[in-house]
Amino acid sequence: MLTINNVVKHRGNQEILSGVSFKARPGRVTGFLGPNGAGKSSTLRILLGLDRATSGSALIDGVPFAELQNPLATVGAALDGFGAHRMRTGRAHLRWIARAAGLSHSRVEEVLEIVGLTNVAGKRVGTYSLGMGKRLGMAAALLGDPEILVLDEPVNGLDPEGIRWIRTFLRERAESGKTVLLSSHLMGELAETVDDVVIINHGKVVADGTLEEVIGNHSTLEEAFFALTSKNNGDGV
Amino acid sequence: MSVSSSRKTTRILSAELDKLITMPLIWRTFVATFIINLVLTAAFTSASLQGAADTKSVLNIGLASMIYLQAGFIILGILATCSEYTGGQVQTTLTTIPWRGLQLISKHLALAVFTFPAALVITASGVLYTVLMMQDTVAGIGINTMIQTVVGAAGYLTVTTLLSAAVGALLRRTTPALVVLLGYYFIVSPLMSDFLPRVHNYFPDAAGAYMYMETFSNEVKVLTPMQGTGIAVGWTLIFMAIAIVFYRKRDA
Amino acid sequence: MRAFNAELSKLFSLPGIWLAFLIGAFVPAVIAALDSTAQKEEIIAGVSTRLSEVGYIGLALGVQGIIILGVLAVSSEYLTESSESGGGNQITTSLTVVSSRFHFLLAKASAVTVIGILLSIVAILTTVSATNLILGEYAPAFEAPKLIGVVCYWTFTALLAFGITILTKNGIIPLTVLIINSSVVAVSYLLSKVTKLAFYLPDIAGSNMFMSDGFHTPFTGGLIMFAWVAVLFIIAVIVFHRRDVAS
Repeated sequence: MLTINNVVKHRGNQEILSGVSFKARPGRVTGFLGPNGAGKSSTLRILLGLDRATSGSALIDGVPFAELQNPLATVGAALDGFGAHRMRTGRAHLRWIARAAGLSHSRVEEVLEIVGLTNVAGKRVGTYSLGMGKRLGMAAALLGDPEILVLDEPVNGLDPEGIRWIRTFLRERAESGKTVLLSSHLMGELAETVDDVVIINHGKVVADGTLEEVIGNHSTLEEAFFALTSKNNGDGV
Repeated sequence: MSVSSSRKTTRILSAELDKLITMPLIWRTFVATFIINLVLTAAFTSASLQGAADTKSVLNIGLASMIYLQAGFIILGILATCSEYTGGQVQTTLTTIPWRGLQLISKHLALAVFTFPAALVITASGVLYTVLMMQDTVAGIGINTMIQTVVGAAGYLTVTTLLSAAVGALLRRTTPALVVLLGYYFIVSPLMSDFLPRVHNYFPDAAGAYMYMETFSNEVKVLTPMQGTGIAVGWTLIFMAIAIVFYRKRDA
Repeated sequence: MRAFNAELSKLFSLPGIWLAFLIGAFVPAVIAALDSTAQKEEIIAGVSTRLSEVGYIGLALGVQGIIILGVLAVSSEYLTESSESGGGNQITTSLTVVSSRFHFLLAKASAVTVIGILLSIVAILTTVSATNLILGEYAPAFEAPKLIGVVCYWTFTALLAFGITILTKNGIIPLTVLIINSSVVAVSYLLSKVTKLAFYLPDIAGSNMFMSDGFHTPFTGGLIMFAWVAVLFIIAVIVFHRRDVAS
């Protein structure tokens, strides 16, 4: 269970998040939606303890990320970017992560197999395409077989096959009782994957509920999204 | 609890060591430093073979390249910490190891574990080369003095590396860290030794030099090797502490 | 011309460039001031053997700012340090905007040259003022030909840094080599004790343009340094032209 509670974040004079609250529940895929710069990544970075909230709390099963006993086995995270040094090989990257969590090298080969990177694992990360980098990020997130997955724009840069793979994979995770939180700005893609939707705009949550609730009277999620975000645009800026 | 936390520390330490030894840049720096040091030592040796040499000068010549040598170790230190900020690796590091103080200390420890033997190999190879080339003139020098000096020099280089790593962690970018450190070690420090010699003795490089200079240098000595070591290590710990404070406070 | 303007604005928007300006403008003055203070008594007594070097020593040793300028101009194109995303190789964008690689390098080199000339003039002003402030009426007169030599020396140094960085694609090597070599423990100076050939190295030859005890005349010295810059630039153009951008 992920609990974001009234998180405020200032950077300089700017208020990036102004009181964001929502939950991501076990057994469900929660989609975190918003236009570019709405505060999706900032929220996830605070949840993962990378950035500090000005006020409010972001808890994982009731505790802040830094207090987790075994972070890798609790939360698997894949943020924007490769998250790896470009001169290291993909395998070496996963191996030091495994080492830090006390996992074996065979687990590294397993996740490489799962994300389909076995063939290029010996190549430097700098030579990877965007899609391969995303897969490497997923591999790192899956390494500890965590109860919770936090993914920032997971389908960005993936080919159609990869997108389909992610979709089925995440559905399976949720159905086995695990928590999945993913951010995206790809509406059509999200509508087919998620159970719950949180929409954020200008650092505020503008909608929060099940997919059906958020779509409401609109014909699609996309329609609902534009209705919610453009309305907020008017008085927001 | 204490068992699991000591295991946790071991894991983090070995993960940081893994990161270091799988970085091609680290090895390239080591190899380049090794070769350049031998070339410089060869040059110094051949230059002094033409002149008269007393017994003490073997160490003097074998370590004459120390001032250039430290540049390689400064780069090593900076690479170790600044490489976290390439490709957003620091995100992965902190989602794997969210205990920032522990993580940065482990990184410095791992760096020391890697650097000390590396420095030992490089300084010993320089001194060994000189001894082999100058066999005829070195009759009186004791093996103990030699070992002491080489270990001291390797210790100095390790301390310099850790200090550079702390500065790198503080600045997070290779170029400014390099400019600041090279600027201090090669421009500011020599100027200070000319114009403020007394104060200069208490700065990390001048104090650290007493770790290996004791046995052969003819210069006036203000500090004992132990005092010099203490001051140099002290500076390094101060910079590490500052780096950790900032690392914990700052958004990654 | 448009490419040149673009390169200028790229340079000015680099955060590190202000560090380069700061160092370039004040380090020579500080070194000259320290040296003048140390020499003051001898100069007033009229027994100084280094009167002609006063001030210039700062301009010879204080070139770090201009080195940073030359290195940053190139390394910023390849910089991938970023905590956010994978970080950008700006070079890819640059080369799609200015498609001719030769023009791209030429525009960049021109921008570096122009800023280098301006920065060296500022450095001369601060250094001369610092020397005059400390030595007062005993300060030596600064002659125009020598000062022009300083401007050339600084600009050529920036272009050397620029050229080397194109070859290495990374600021670490050129910064280390050039900063160490601008210090009092310069490798080229050591070499000059061993072999006469070292007098043909760019920094030693170039410093003859304004330091008095030169091996070469100021003109030959300048010519030798310029030859180094020209050869390096040609090599850089060829290498840069053949190389895949992403590699």
